[in-house]
Amino acid sequence: MSGDPSRSFKWVTVVCSVVTIGFLVAAAVRENISADWREHQSVFRGILLTKAKDDAARRTAQNLPIEIRQVVVPALHTVDRCVSCHLGIDDPRMTDQPNPHRVHPKRLLAIHRVEKFGCTVCHQGQGAALNFEEAKAEDYFWDYPLLPAKFTEATCASCHDPRALPAGSAEKLVLGMQLFEQKSCNGCHKLDGKGGQLGPALDNEGLKTKHQFVRATLTGSQTNWNWFAEHFRDPAGIVAGSLMPMPALSQPQVEALTVYMLSLRQRDLPAEYLAPDKIDEQYARLHPPAPDGAALYHRYCMACHDTGMHTRWDKKLARFVPGIRNAAFIRTEDDECLAENIREGRPGTRMPGWGAKAGGLSEAEVAALVAYLRTSAPAMALPAAPPRGEATRGSVLFAQECAGCHGMDGKGLIAPALANPVFQQAATDEFIAQTIRAGRENTPMPAFGRAGVSEPQIGDLLAYIRKWQPQTRSQHP
Amino acid sequence: MTPDTKTPIREFLENLKQAPRHIRESALRNGKMPETDRERSQSTFHNLFLHLQSVRTDRRSLRFGYTFGLGLILTASFVVLTITGILLMVYYKPGVELAYNSVKDIHFVVPAGRFIRNIHRWSAHLMVLAAFLHMARVFYTGSYKRPREFNWLIGLALLVFTLGLSFTGYLLPWDQLAYWAITIGANIASSPREVTDAIGITAWFDPGTFQKQLLLGANYVGQESLIRFYVLHVAVLPLLISAFMGLHFWRVRKDGGLSRDESKPPPPARIGDRDVEVFAPTKTYGLMAVVRGRTPEVGRAPEGSVSSWPNLLWAEMAAFMFTIALTLVLSYFFDAPLKEMANPAIPENPAKAPWYFLGLQELVSYSAFMGGVGIPSIVLIGLGLIPYLDRDPRGVGIWFGGPAGRRTFWQSLVYGLTSVLGLLALTVNFGWLRTWFPTIPQIAIIILNPATVIVAMYSAWSLWVLRRTGSIRMSAIALFTCFLAGFVVLTAMGSIFRGPNWHFYWWPSQWPTH
Repeated sequence: MSGDPSRSFKWVTVVCSVVTIGFLVAAAVRENISADWREHQSVFRGILLTKAKDDAARRTAQNLPIEIRQVVVPALHTVDRCVSCHLGIDDPRMTDQPNPHRVHPKRLLAIHRVEKFGCTVCHQGQGAALNFEEAKAEDYFWDYPLLPAKFTEATCASCHDPRALPAGSAEKLVLGMQLFEQKSCNGCHKLDGKGGQLGPALDNEGLKTKHQFVRATLTGSQTNWNWFAEHFRDPAGIVAGSLMPMPALSQPQVEALTVYMLSLRQRDLPAEYLAPDKIDEQYARLHPPAPDGAALYHRYCMACHDTGMHTRWDKKLARFVPGIRNAAFIRTEDDECLAENIREGRPGTRMPGWGAKAGGLSEAEVAALVAYLRTSAPAMALPAAPPRGEATRGSVLFAQECAGCHGMDGKGLIAPALANPVFQQAATDEFIAQTIRAGRENTPMPAFGRAGVSEPQIGDLLAYIRKWQPQTRSQHP
Repeated sequence: MTPDTKTPIREFLENLKQAPRHIRESALRNGKMPETDRERSQSTFHNLFLHLQSVRTDRRSLRFGYTFGLGLILTASFVVLTITGILLMVYYKPGVELAYNSVKDIHFVVPAGRFIRNIHRWSAHLMVLAAFLHMARVFYTGSYKRPREFNWLIGLALLVFTLGLSFTGYLLPWDQLAYWAITIGANIASSPREVTDAIGITAWFDPGTFQKQLLLGANYVGQESLIRFYVLHVAVLPLLISAFMGLHFWRVRKDGGLSRDESKPPPPARIGDRDVEVFAPTKTYGLMAVVRGRTPEVGRAPEGSVSSWPNLLWAEMAAFMFTIALTLVLSYFFDAPLKEMANPAIPENPAKAPWYFLGLQELVSYSAFMGGVGIPSIVLIGLGLIPYLDRDPRGVGIWFGGPAGRRTFWQSLVYGLTSVLGLLALTVNFGWLRTWFPTIPQIAIIILNPATVIVAMYSAWSLWVLRRTGSIRMSAIALFTCFLAGFVVLTAMGSIFRGPNWHFYWWPSQWPTH
């Protein structure tokens, strides 16, 4: 056959055919026979056999079909094949078995039937997968990877009001919720339409995918929970330029807050999946009970104003934050002026508006906050202001005495901005004159009246300061 | 009744016994495996599939170093794609709510589904790659010349259909990769807007948006686009490509078989070859005798040719089995990608088109119109005109047409690579007009951008080669080589060296995570 012109082609054909058949067989074995779940199911069959007490049970065990098992829940749009390996998940005899054969801990499946709930509605992960790596789907192309056991409580909140759960059943989640209020996170972050605007709103934070987080400097696992942990440790280290203070949390607190963040998910679940307490919670949101001023202050104001007794220098905001519960200040402000400041905030500063259109507080809540602030001191009857004098003389005096802190243009430097529309609208001449005259105890604002500034000079200053008054005065409700 | 007359029942039994043999004989028109050359010829001639081939094949057409079997690899991958594609269709559901999960199910639970999807993906890449290489082979061996000009055009149409098939298939898994690649592709389709916007006539004349809407069935990628791409992918384009493949093969045959150097005599048959038996044609040609041209090789001695059965069949079998083995090995070790489910709210960054369009996407990053419409049109028209501009009949069947062409090829390769690399280095380091003159009107950038500059540089080189050598063929080799170099470099640039926000990175591992 030395002269056969197709000799080399025959060789190529033979070699390639052998390779083809070899890989076809290898693939058939790998895809169908050597799958992990088959192995787990035959081990489980052995466990069933050892646990069988009578012939009927032994027969059942022997006849246990080795097949793909799945829980299909059309209402939740899930197909969970986890039970292909976790065969003993609702078998109470399997308490002493290693994973994946062990029964679900805490007997939770007795009240959450597998057939109704499936697995991924609580645990996340890729339910369709048939091997653990892909089911876990961590650092993989899947939006909702398996929640590690320490964070699983997060998903309880999809259907439950955590505070209504029996004690001990979602401790981390409840602790996280409390921390969220204690640390006054709402001061900067909106949730359910209420809160400040310095940081991003946190609604549905638990439903975000990892691609929605800035992960440029995130090292290690790229999961959302690792992002939260690293971010709580050093906010600006993860989100460049973040103004968020480092909350100084212990490890359990970081975990609890992470659980709470992951629990923020408004899923459109069918009504039969919602616990009655969840419905109560939603009802309470629409029909809030009488607001508690102290709690509101804690939740929305404390992040910046702290106790409110002293003016404090905020390093992150790089300015003084006024002490708004300071008796000297509260005394000079009437209720309407306080309410107006809360509603409108101070445009141009970091103080946002808190009225219904901005921070989301209702009139009743604003009133409750004002009442709480009022506990510091009753409003005093302000002495009359001197008539407005000469603005040019006022400007000279302002440059000398006031501009150092308030800025020559009145835009505020380390002291509040005076050239601010809300301030100009809310502050009466009496209020401004009294503040110049008597100063503000516990703040750097001195009592100029005692330092020799006369009433006509205060009038000149008034004239100068009022130059910043907006031209058209709109009426606020 | 004589003794040797069979009884009806015995005859029936005898026929029943012989039925398998008779069925076989009736199915094969020759009835048995051919043994003599005449029978081999008849086997080829009398079979619907085999008669596409000539009964004898020139020895030179079987040289591996001449064709590299690329046309056969293309055919083989198309067959593999058809078979695996039909298998995938059984489980695939073309709806935006269902598509992704059905692909996941193919991956997880359909027996060998993952493997079949991998094969489909890898053969698709192989087919696109082989199409480019096949075109280059045909060009460099001068095989587009008379009388094969029109088959070159059919081949170009096949290239476009192949790219279309691959592109439409890209969307079907409905994952993030698919969604954003097609979004990019659709935006490329709408790139004439750049011109109409720049001269301010978009309100009256807007072919870009029309093209995009024609492609997507909407203004964004959604259910309408998915079903459109599905129909194109599983029905329209496969039918078109099958028809054109038939036409392509038929023209290969009718235009005289694979090209070869006709100026030289075929290599002499070697003593000892079993197929040197010469037989005179016994067939009388009827109407065929009056057909003009070189069609059937009547009266030509069979020296230098071998019987197609089994020699050509073995060559074909080798290419088929090679293609299948290669795709199986790749599919065994590398899974086809499947990212998160398509999410219009979370753009991929960088969002990249399929790899064979990344050269264009690189150009689109300078000017959408030039990269998306201008340059591809110029290239396609230029390629189509090649056989009509280069009418020199010499050099057919010889790589590069001889040593001069080989020299031109290497020189042009160096020139083509240096100029495109230099231009890219310039833009990566120093930007382009918009960086230097922020207020420059867009129309100036459309006219003068790296894409047009590179085309101008390549054309200039080609013209210079034309003047220097006085040969259109040399000039064509110069231009084709330059464009090939440009295509390879730009594709590599787009696939490997472009990261988030289309910034330059030496390696994907340097990309920022977000």
